[in-house]
Amino acid sequence: MTAIIALSLFGISNLFLGFWFPRKTIQLVTLLFLVVSMALTVSDWNHELLWFGNMFRTTNTSINFSLIIQLAAFFVVAFSKAFGQDDEHTHPAEYYAIMLFSVVGAILMVSFDHMIVLFVGLEILSVAMYVLTGSDKRNLRSNEAAIKYFLMGSFTTGFLLFGITLVYGATRSFYISNIGTILTTTAPESMPSFLFIGVLLIIVGLLFKVSAAPFHFWTPDVYEGAPTIFTMFMSTIVKTASFAALFQLVSGIFGSLYTVWVLPVYFISMLTLVVGNISAVYQQSVKRMLAFSSISHAGYLILTVSSKQISTTSSILYYSLSYTLATVVAFAVLILVSEYQSARVEKPENFSSFEGLAKNNPGLALCFSISMLSLAGIPLTAGFWGKFFIFSDTFSRNIIYPVILAILMSAVGIYYYFKGIIAVYLKAGEIEKIEVPTLFKMALWACTLGTIILGIYPSLVKSVF
Amino acid sequence: MQSIPEIIRTIPLTNYIMLSSALFCIGILGVLTRRNAIIVFMAIELMLNAVNLLLAAFSSYYSDPSGQIFVFFIMAVAAAEVAVGLAIIVMIYRNIQSIDIGVLNKLKN
Amino acid sequence: MEISNIWYFLSALTLLSALMVIMSKNPIHSVLYLVFTFFCISAHYVLLNAQFLMAVNIIVYAGAIMVLFLFVIMMFDLKKNIPESKSSLTKLAGSVVAGTLLVILIAIVRKNNIPAPLGDKFNSQTGMVENLGQVLYGEFLLPFELVSILFFVAMVGAVLLGKREAGERNF
Repeated sequence: MTAIIALSLFGISNLFLGFWFPRKTIQLVTLLFLVVSMALTVSDWNHELLWFGNMFRTTNTSINFSLIIQLAAFFVVAFSKAFGQDDEHTHPAEYYAIMLFSVVGAILMVSFDHMIVLFVGLEILSVAMYVLTGSDKRNLRSNEAAIKYFLMGSFTTGFLLFGITLVYGATRSFYISNIGTILTTTAPESMPSFLFIGVLLIIVGLLFKVSAAPFHFWTPDVYEGAPTIFTMFMSTIVKTASFAALFQLVSGIFGSLYTVWVLPVYFISMLTLVVGNISAVYQQSVKRMLAFSSISHAGYLILTVSSKQISTTSSILYYSLSYTLATVVAFAVLILVSEYQSARVEKPENFSSFEGLAKNNPGLALCFSISMLSLAGIPLTAGFWGKFFIFSDTFSRNIIYPVILAILMSAVGIYYYFKGIIAVYLKAGEIEKIEVPTLFKMALWACTLGTIILGIYPSLVKSVF
Repeated sequence: MQSIPEIIRTIPLTNYIMLSSALFCIGILGVLTRRNAIIVFMAIELMLNAVNLLLAAFSSYYSDPSGQIFVFFIMAVAAAEVAVGLAIIVMIYRNIQSIDIGVLNKLKN
Repeated sequence: MEISNIWYFLSALTLLSALMVIMSKNPIHSVLYLVFTFFCISAHYVLLNAQFLMAVNIIVYAGAIMVLFLFVIMMFDLKKNIPESKSSLTKLAGSVVAGTLLVILIAIVRKNNIPAPLGDKFNSQTGMVENLGQVLYGEFLLPFELVSILFFVAMVGAVLLGKREAGERNF
């Protein structure tokens, strides 16, 4: 709880710091702020508490999710190198402040106990993301991404709100714990039938945010058009927060309405896996491929929603962490390469601009390959264990066909992730040594090392979750 | 005993749900069929107002003020969204002199 | 006139003006119809005994938000009716989706066991300022404070996006 207050104050002070200090200082201060807020988050560990009229609940699960979100924000801030250097990004302090505020929204979404906190948290996160997506003001692609994201985002909010309203009409409460009690104690037949529509509309609203098929159509365009650093932010933080909210609602309070949502959720999960993986195969642009890959990873996560094993929560946390670490590295290398290539080739984000990266930049090539291996789920990386835990949880609940499909689709995934590795190591190309700032390099290696350590000793983190 | 307003005695709650559903679907129709960004945006406002009306109806029928408080929050959030949304639309108009979202198709390869 | 007739008349008016919002060619007409829809919804709030909500709805929605819309439209000078680029096929698909959703919703709501009205426990003061204020600043204190963060983000964001950078054209 204190982390939220601290982050809001830090965000405001960040804006003031922008008057006097250059970008470098603000970046370091923002990193410091995030470390402090992570420490404050940890201080609530093992104290299950309700705050502010029972609206905000801190549990160990919510603390773990908030830590993953703040860790992702930490790396995004560490990888932000372009702000303040060119004409377009002349206001670095504002961007860092908005990022801190959006982390507040994300934390609210993982630890709400009242529908309104979910709604306000989602809106803080979304409004911040609309601004950040459009922050490359004179770039038409960024403009287009911003308007698409904005219109789709508010459209989705409408669905979520209509769902919340119908559930309120049926249960007369906005409190998550109250709704859960009412739903478990009343027979579903005696509930008003619009309750089920409400539940489905809430699920649809959140599925839009995690970009599950068939609600994913905005994702590739928005991810491609947004500045890469904010695509990194979207594909890690927004996704983790929305999925955590979805998981808490669906497998928590709507758990007793299992029969209403289980078939749609399976269908959506399988469709997401197929659409995400198959479309990713055909992409020429690494950024677009990563967008489709994030859709397919949403599919794996949605698979777990219905498996009510005790270990499921920790599997989801492990998966989110491994996915975050790998995605952040992939986008970071993409930032460096596309910046280098932007003056040389027409489409700097394509696979072809990665060709021959290993020759003069062995470090970058290694980091990129390890992140690709982790996303593909190759053993000895974190991604393998993430997929393994999810599949075994789902399998032990006798959900056979979706798991088989998921395994097949992760085999398809290997193909397009290896396309990146092949371009880096085997194709011939001319890339000179790319200058990497120290902080950037440290963050890059920290993530890569994290991926490997998690891959070799999964129990190290799994025992904490 | 306090008197119950006549409307609550004579009009069943179902009517309000239907009215709001109809308003909500008109909003969806607008979002899906129009291309002018500002009109799409107005259709989204219609959807939010359908939600507001339904919340107020539930709140009055159940005598529970939290529903009406939720409406305030939706209004506040809508205001914030409008500010950002119109800023995005102004930004786009500066660049392409149009607000037809069909013109923006750079990303569709 | 009976009150139920007033209700049906008002609802028909609401739906009609809402339809006009999405059908008019000219954005300015759309805005005016939308303002009219908001007034109709405010009238519904009065019928529901939610007077404060009615006042807020007119002040915030019809007063502030719609004026913002009008300003932006005036700034763009959209007098000329630009033909829309959306194909009739997408329009048809959109109508089918919305229509299906409406039919499903109404079909489900029709056969319904709505919770019974409250009877004796009914409180006609629910929608009054005093009552709402107590709840807003008591139970809902946390979201009330959080909305300030949202406004802050929106304010910073709108300035960031709307501000003219050096060398940029001024419309």
